[in-house]
Amino acid sequence: MAGAGGGGCPAGGNDLQWCFSQVKGAVDEDVAEADVISTVEFSHSGDLLATGDKGGRVVIFQREQENKSRPHSRGEYNVYSTFQSHEPEFDYLKSLEIEEKINKIRWLPQQGAARFLLSTNDKTIKLWKISERDKRAEGYNLKDEDGRLRDPLRITALRVPILKPMDLMVEASPRRIFANAHTYHINSISVNSDHETYLSADDLRINLWHLEITDRSFNIVDIKPANMEELTEVITAAEFHPHQCNVLVYSSSKGTIRLCDMRSSALCDRHSKFFEEPEDPSSRSFFSEIISSVSDVKFSHSGRYMMTRDYLSVKVWDLNMESRPVETHQVHEYLRSKLCSLYENDCIFDKFECCWNGSDSAIMTGSYNNFFRMFDRTTWRDVTLEASRENSKPRASLKPRRVCAGGKRKKDEVSVDSLDFSKKILHTAWHPVENIIAVAATNNLYIFQDKAN
Amino acid sequence: MECALDAQSLISISLRKIHSSRTQRGGIKLHKNLLVSYVLRNARQLYLSERYAELYRRQQQQQQQQPPHHQHQHLAYAAPGMPASAADFGPLQLGGGGDAEAREPVARHQLHQLHQLHQLHLQQQLHQHQHPAPRGCAAAAAGAPAGGAGALSELPGCLPGCAALQPPHGAPHRGQPLEPLQPGPAPLPPPAPAALCQRDPRASAACSAPSAPPGAAPQATTAASPPASPAPASSPGFYRGAYPAPSDFGVHCSSQTTVLDLDTHVVTTVENGYLHQDCCASAHCPCCGQGAPGPGLASAAGCKRKYYPGQEEEDNDDEDAGDLGAEPPGGVPFAPCKRARFEDFCPDSSPDASNISNLISIFGSGFSGLVSRQPDSSEQPPPLNGQLCAKQALASLGAWTRAIVAF
Repeated sequence: MAGAGGGGCPAGGNDLQWCFSQVKGAVDEDVAEADVISTVEFSHSGDLLATGDKGGRVVIFQREQENKSRPHSRGEYNVYSTFQSHEPEFDYLKSLEIEEKINKIRWLPQQGAARFLLSTNDKTIKLWKISERDKRAEGYNLKDEDGRLRDPLRITALRVPILKPMDLMVEASPRRIFANAHTYHINSISVNSDHETYLSADDLRINLWHLEITDRSFNIVDIKPANMEELTEVITAAEFHPHQCNVLVYSSSKGTIRLCDMRSSALCDRHSKFFEEPEDPSSRSFFSEIISSVSDVKFSHSGRYMMTRDYLSVKVWDLNMESRPVETHQVHEYLRSKLCSLYENDCIFDKFECCWNGSDSAIMTGSYNNFFRMFDRTTWRDVTLEASRENSKPRASLKPRRVCAGGKRKKDEVSVDSLDFSKKILHTAWHPVENIIAVAATNNLYIFQDKAN
Repeated sequence: MECALDAQSLISISLRKIHSSRTQRGGIKLHKNLLVSYVLRNARQLYLSERYAELYRRQQQQQQQQPPHHQHQHLAYAAPGMPASAADFGPLQLGGGGDAEAREPVARHQLHQLHQLHQLHLQQQLHQHQHPAPRGCAAAAAGAPAGGAGALSELPGCLPGCAALQPPHGAPHRGQPLEPLQPGPAPLPPPAPAALCQRDPRASAACSAPSAPPGAAPQATTAASPPASPAPASSPGFYRGAYPAPSDFGVHCSSQTTVLDLDTHVVTTVENGYLHQDCCASAHCPCCGQGAPGPGLASAAGCKRKYYPGQEEEDNDDEDAGDLGAEPPGGVPFAPCKRARFEDFCPDSSPDASNISNLISIFGSGFSGLVSRQPDSSEQPPPLNGQLCAKQALASLGAWTRAIVAF
């Protein structure tokens, strides 16, 4: 069922009213390429929010504890840690430069005080440990306070070092580096529900790793044809099922999704389920293949549904029905007549992501002009909101936006021709429990909360 | 923001994208280039169908000047499964000085083959409506039994990978010596039997490769795009072809160009110079190297050529009859399953279907030749370069994938 193009009702059920909370990032008009945010991910508890950028850096924000003395802070996200995850590399064998852009970040479930996340660029996945240090040992015997070694002949007494508090220091250290397993560009990583393994997917292959083992991985999906000239589709996204550790899905550039069960065979080239919606012949165009390519696939938290994003729509699939999606929501159908121009300026190749809310009752995805769309699955209402500096007053409510596809433009409507296609929201994330969303608009990270929060 | 690109501009844009992706940071992006190749294929199909329709239009004009009994020929052509004939056609005289009349029957033969392909295309469209998603392999397979290169069918759903999955294209040529691919005009190869003269050496090479499945993508498409040398003979032959086209192409005046708005699918006919003019503007255009018969295209009035309808009937070849006869008029023997691998669709066609496989060679070199030459031609004005690239790209589709995949 198609959603309306920008209704006036807020989405998320219970008449949520989204308000501006914070914005991170520089205000400059000239955006450095390296500062463009390329991935956003909440941790499993939602208290940490990680972003990766094109410069290979990871910035982690932590939510402040609710402070009675500062009621207005309302759980703000502040910088917790920043580190350089990946550096540009050069593959000498193929004379290829490997971009340092962080393609995906995935948090590991928390086990202990330290936090772990996986970050990946096109070729290498790294496991990072983020740990806090707020104590320091003092009174060493063999070295003095500066760290210089003491002259052993001068040591006449023995003492026990004591721990003294220090300013909180957050350290990020690479604990594992999973390299040299992918010939093509990695587009997805997904941690398994067993908390021991994870998958990494590139254009043609999916590998299974153990978090402790870096010198080998197991290839479970390989769609590379014997003759590359026969190539017709590539893998665009992959994810493990949230509860069943043997189930994974991967989407293709042809708009199909395959569900694989690792119990059935070691090599999952043969799918267990095949999800495809028949193409509507009347909407056939020169760009049909491009706009049907799935850019993101996400399981619902329940594990019963999955959501796919293609260029113009998001579709919700029931895992028990392969023939067609149970829901189809139009994100920006008004672009269908502009596909030619979007092809010329390369926007048609933009890969939008999508996300579920904690209860799976709403879904969100980005669009152009710094617009993003929310669809409420229970009330069938949808809304278009904008991430902009103009609407950045603290706790200011976001006003629903409308795009005028043609004809007479009403007041407050934005016409399609005036959309800014350089301002695209590709990456969004929804807090796993609460109604807090993080929206990446080029080099800025916007955080919105619902008023009731 | 509406853009009414014609197929040629789209092809130019796509080629520019592919070319620039080779220098982009991070290496060639397989996914993006694959999608661009789909657009290229779609645009090429439109481009070819436009020319086809234009020829039909010209043929219509010619036939209006002919005695009425020639109308009979249209019926003969319209019958699906009508075998193409090659037996009475002498060896194709390649080269500029060839006899126009000697080339005519060959040209007509080629266009007859194109018509067969189109008949199958119509059948395929019928079939497509019954089976919602028979894209790609299925569609190309429809063309296979008739030997038509899938890339040259007007079926928009053909996938590049499946475009050339017909084993018979390669079958009779496994023994042929490999000829180096020669971009641009090249010395003409010696005349070969009509059925085989238009073979693309690259197709032979590809077919001979033991590891390559017979239906590999570039083979049939390159089969339809011989090296530059035969192109001069074949393209004028194509243009001059008196060939009845299905009426659904509509009416296209030879002095007009049909432009398809790719976004809204509005077809407009634009008063324009001859389609062929922009081709002749290119210094490398092999067509312009042609002798007298060639310029018949360049003139807006359309060409005058002799027409031997009687000969057409006699020329029906039994070999092809056997092959095409196997094709039931109403149905296409393939599984229109989108996800099936194309190997499943390689039909058991007779090797003689390769006669029909080599349809139109418009321009000589494929993409690999194009790309190698591109640095030199980059100094040319962009429109010309784009046109040059576009024209050469029309020749071969499968080579694009080869060039894209640098791994």
